[in-house]
This record gives sequence, structure tokens and C-alpha cells, in this order.
Amino acid sequence: MGSRSSVSRFDRARRLASLPAGSRGVVVKVLRDNVGRAERLAALGVTPGARVRVLQRFPGFVFECDQTELAVEPEVARAILVDVREPHGSGRGTALAVTRRWPY
Amino acid sequence: MSCPRALAGPVLDQPLLKLRRRPLRIALVGNPNVGKSVIFGRLTGRYATVSNYPGTTVGVTRGRAMIGAEVCDVIDTPGVYALDGVLTEDEQITRRVLGDGDADLVVQVADARNLRRALMLTWQISGFHKPMVLVLNMVDEARARGVDVDRNRLERELGVPVVETVATEGRGLSELRAALAEARTLRTFPDTGKDHARWAHELAEALRRFRPRALARAQEVLARAVREPLTGLPILAIVLYALYLFVGVFGAQTLVGLLEHGLFQRYLNPAAIALATRFIPVPLVRDFLVGEYGLITMGVTYAIAIVLPVVATFFLMFGWLEDSGYIPRLAIFSDRIFRMMGLNGKAVLPMVLGLGCDTMATMTTRILGTPKERLIAILLLALGIPCSAQLATILGILGGISFAALLTLFAVVLVQMFLVGFLAARVLPGGRSDFILELPPIRLPDARNLLTKTALRIRWYLGEAVPLFLIGTALLFVLDRVGLLGLLIWGARPVVTGLLGLPPATAQVFVMGFLRRDYGAAGLFQMAHAGHLTGVQAVVALTVMTLFVPCVANFLMIIREQGLRAGLSILGFVTVVAVATGAALNHGLKILGVTF
Repeated sequence: MGSRSSVSRFDRARRLASLPAGSRGVVVKVLRDNVGRAERLAALGVTPGARVRVLQRFPGFVFECDQTELAVEPEVARAILVDVREPHGSGRGTALAVTRRWPY
Repeated sequence: MSCPRALAGPVLDQPLLKLRRRPLRIALVGNPNVGKSVIFGRLTGRYATVSNYPGTTVGVTRGRAMIGAEVCDVIDTPGVYALDGVLTEDEQITRRVLGDGDADLVVQVADARNLRRALMLTWQISGFHKPMVLVLNMVDEARARGVDVDRNRLERELGVPVVETVATEGRGLSELRAALAEARTLRTFPDTGKDHARWAHELAEALRRFRPRALARAQEVLARAVREPLTGLPILAIVLYALYLFVGVFGAQTLVGLLEHGLFQRYLNPAAIALATRFIPVPLVRDFLVGEYGLITMGVTYAIAIVLPVVATFFLMFGWLEDSGYIPRLAIFSDRIFRMMGLNGKAVLPMVLGLGCDTMATMTTRILGTPKERLIAILLLALGIPCSAQLATILGILGGISFAALLTLFAVVLVQMFLVGFLAARVLPGGRSDFILELPPIRLPDARNLLTKTALRIRWYLGEAVPLFLIGTALLFVLDRVGLLGLLIWGARPVVTGLLGLPPATAQVFVMGFLRRDYGAAGLFQMAHAGHLTGVQAVVALTVMTLFVPCVANFLMIIREQGLRAGLSILGFVTVVAVATGAALNHGLKILGVTF
């Protein structure tokens, strides 16, 4: 993430709500189109740089951010922009658990 | 926190015995559901309710603790996501504890797994310039999930003591006590150029190591099963059925049968009557104690024999569900429905808690984001959610009639709640907040916490409900003697018999129901057992009772939270809806020819 310019980062960014279950990525931006939404999410750890993984989309959108499981409404998931990672992409050295495939 | 350093710390350089105008105040602050109340209990020896979901603590709890040679006040605060920006009522409470000079020292409790989030809060706490200690709690769970935090480096970076604990087992608590002596303000106050999220992120990334996780696989699988619709809905059905079996059948039928028919009707009441006839010569006093509206034969019998067994079984099962982390996951399924009612999935917490006690749940609505959401939730709690004691009598009466009767009652109440919520969402001014809910980890409940919590709640019920039962009985006795009861029954006749199709005597039960819904329902229970109610009448009477405002205590709580005007409006509205629904149900069932 460090060497990439912010422009190319945004090209690859997708809305969290559009991702299928099981996909993972890194938050690049949280849209501030609703008062207090970005602050709420930030307090739960959803800030640029945070690693996320989509757990389920229906009946409610559930994703994991860091070590926290969060349930949100679709509107909120649409406001989170994520840089999608390949399953075995180049994570940072510390990110062992993130690049590992899940048993399901 | 090693002892040599503690001895060299700034506090113990001063005289051992320090005279203060008031005890040192230590505030426990942190994100929701990180274990503040457990640490509070460990420090003070007082039990603050502990559950496995955010928002268990509403309002502050204070207790005394001996730290070293000093008596300190410990303040347990509601969990906060943030202390700056748009705050919920709970967060404002915590902010006030930190801000108004109330706290001298801050202990930030953090979930060791979520260092980033903890540090964001650390930054905000540091803005209050109070000496602090950072506690990384639940290090055992963090390790099991493959997360390690470099405590020593964190301590150096922040310049405040950092203590690792497993509070539920008491591990690390003596280290925490020692560390309190060297609490200080954040040394490296982050440079102002970066925002605090960035600072927290970078620091957490630098100090945290992830290992491929070894344990916690079972937790993952369970959490997933509970949350996905294909497995989650059957699990919900099983949970509800188990609740029905344990509370409705075992509690409301087996235990109540044993206590009411066995103990009270066979031994205690006859004995009380015999003693009273023998030793109390004044008939008025005798009747007051053991007559038709006698304190013992009615008040105590209702409270102990009919309601207590169900309340106890309910609290036990409910506590288990609370501690397992299951309840917040219901929000995933209910979010869409709640959104139509001007709320969001988060509202499932106060609603389910209302099944325990509507009065406490009315306080819990503080976790909701906007004033409008709070008002709707409080209204719905008052309208439709039967509390444990009332659930008791409902299950006791209708369980004896038929399952269809039970389903009818719950269907009518749920539809009514939905309609009222749907309309309120459109009529009331204000907005809805986003649905963003943290799901606590799935855990196997700790037996000791479960038993302590249940025992405490039963004691609370006995202290809260039994006096009201006795006051209610005394009131009925007086009304009966002065002849007002007859007048009341006669006056309510057009509504009770005309609209609702119930026996005239039901009016007195509704009077009791205003004091406490469950007390009224217990009256219905006796009427039903004596064969004075048909199936339809029982369903109608219970529906009306369920839709009533729960009890005087709840009414007072509504006034406290929303003001007198809103309180009276809710009371009036709920009463009209209750009677109207009862009338419609009565006529509907008659037209359809349903008899149960």
C-alpha cells in the first residue's frame, strides 16, 4: 500500500457491499455522506488500512474487521471502500492470518 | 508491573498515609463488552451485572476498593465507542465522569484482540489529561485467536503502565493494583499532524503479531451457524422451543403446580388460616391477612407460588443466552423489520431484555442512536413486550388451554407492535441511526457468573415485586371494604363485559394489572384455574393485559427517561390500543367461531 499512489488505490477500490462472501481486502476510505457514520465506523476500527473480510450478505451484511465481527445495514456497507486482495496476494509480513485461506 | 518500579513510583514517594478531602476516584473506561464490570467486581468485591454483549452497564456504578493502603472509589462506566463527536447518551455519561473532574485516575480497559480500537480511545482519553493505566484484558482469548501484543514496547511508546489481565479468572489483578500507583498521563502525546485513527493504526500494526490461529475453531463454526439463515433460523426455533419447555412447561406448570397446589394450598394457607382464626379475634384484621384479598392468601401466594418459579427459570435460561453472545446475533435477522418501524437491528437488545424486565429495558434504550428511536423503543416495550413475570402467567394459563391460544396471543401482540412501530416511524419527527452492531464472541457461559447473576435477579424480583404485590393486595382489600371495588367493577362493566366479553370480576384483575401486569395476570391465572374463564376469554383478557403498560415502576421509568408529558401520552395511547385490540380480537374470534 505504501508505494502505490492514492489515485491508483482508488481505481481498485470497490464498495464493501458489492463484494461476495469470503472476499477480503483493506479499507481505503470511508465515505462521509452521512453525519456521524464514518466516526461510528472509525470507533469500531473501520479506518483506512484496516483488514476486512466479508462473512455473509443475507439476511444482514456481516463482516470481520480486524478481530471484530460487525453487522451493518447495506447502506453502511456501501459507504466503505475496499481494496480487494487476491487470496495469496502480497500482504505485509505481519499479516499471516490474513493471507491464510479459511476452512470454509 | 513489577514491584520495584511500583515502589519507586511517584505516589509512594509521598507519605504512606495521605489525607484527602475525599477518596481517590478511579474510573474504569473502555469500549463496550471488554470486561469493565468484571474488573470492577474484582477490585471492589461488588457484583455489577456481567453479560456478553455491549451495553450491559447503563449509568455508572460506584464501589469502594482498597488499593495498597488507600481506600478508593471505583467508578464503572458504560462502554463507549468514542468520546468525541456524535455521542449516545451513555457516552455522554462516561464523558462527564472523565470531564467534570469526577475521576482522578483512569483505567482504560481494552480487549487485547482489538488494540487499534483501544488506542483510538486512548488518544481521546488522553485529551482529558488524567493519569491513566491501560489494561489489556482477555489476553487468553487473544492468544487463542493468534494475536500477540508487545506489552513492553507499548508501555514505552505510551509512557503509561500497561497490564495484561484475564479478569474473569482474576489473573493480572494484583499487577493492576500495583500499576495504579504509577499511573500517569500519556507521555508521547501523538503529534498533531496525523489524525488519531492513523496513529492508532500504525502503533497497533507495529506492536501486534498475528500467528496462524490454532484454537477458537469451534467458536468460528458456531458463530457462523448461528448467523446464516439456513442454520440460524432453525437454531432460533430450537432456542425458543427450549425456552418454552424450560420456562413454560417446567417452570410454569411443574414447579408452579408443586408450589401452588402442593405447598400453599395444602399446607401454608390452611395453616395460616387456622392460626389466624385461633389467635386473631378481630375479623377485619383476620380477613386482611387470610381473607379473599388477604396479604398471605393472595399477595404472598401470587408472588411466591405463581410468579417466582417462572421468573427463576426464565432468568436462568436468559442469563445463559446473554452470556453465550447469542442475543445480539438476532439483530442480523431482525434489522430489516426494525427498519420499517423507524428503528434498526440494534433495537433487538432492549426488546429481548424487556422479556426479563421492561423497566430495566427502558433504561437500556440509551444504546439507541436517536431520540426518535428511543421513544419508539420505549413505546413498544410498554405496549407489547411481556416481562418475565407476566410471561410466567401467560404460559401458565394458555399452556393449560392450547398451543393455538398461545400462538394467537403472541401473533396479535407482535402484529400490534409492528403496526404501532410502523405508524410511529412515520408520524414522529426525527431520524433513524445507522445499523452498526458489534457482535460479541460466542462463548460457553461461565457457571459462576450465571448463578450469581440469576440469584441477584431473583433477589431483585423479590425486593421489587413482592412489596408491590402486598400493596396491591392491601389496596384491593380496602377498595373492597369501602365498596369502591364493586362500584369500579360496575363502572367498568360496559368495557369489560360489553366490549371485551369478559366476566365482570375481570375488572378487578385489570386494576391489579395497573400496579403490575404480572400481578393482574396472576389474578387471571386463579380465575382460569377456578374455571371462570373460557378459552377465548382467557386469550382476550391476557392480550389486553399484555398490551397494558407493564407496571407502576415502568411507568415511573418512562417519565424519568422521557418526561411527564410523554409518559402520560404513552400511558393513554397504550390503554386505548389495548382495549381496542381486545375488543377486535373478542369479536373476531366470535365471528370465526374459534373456541380453543
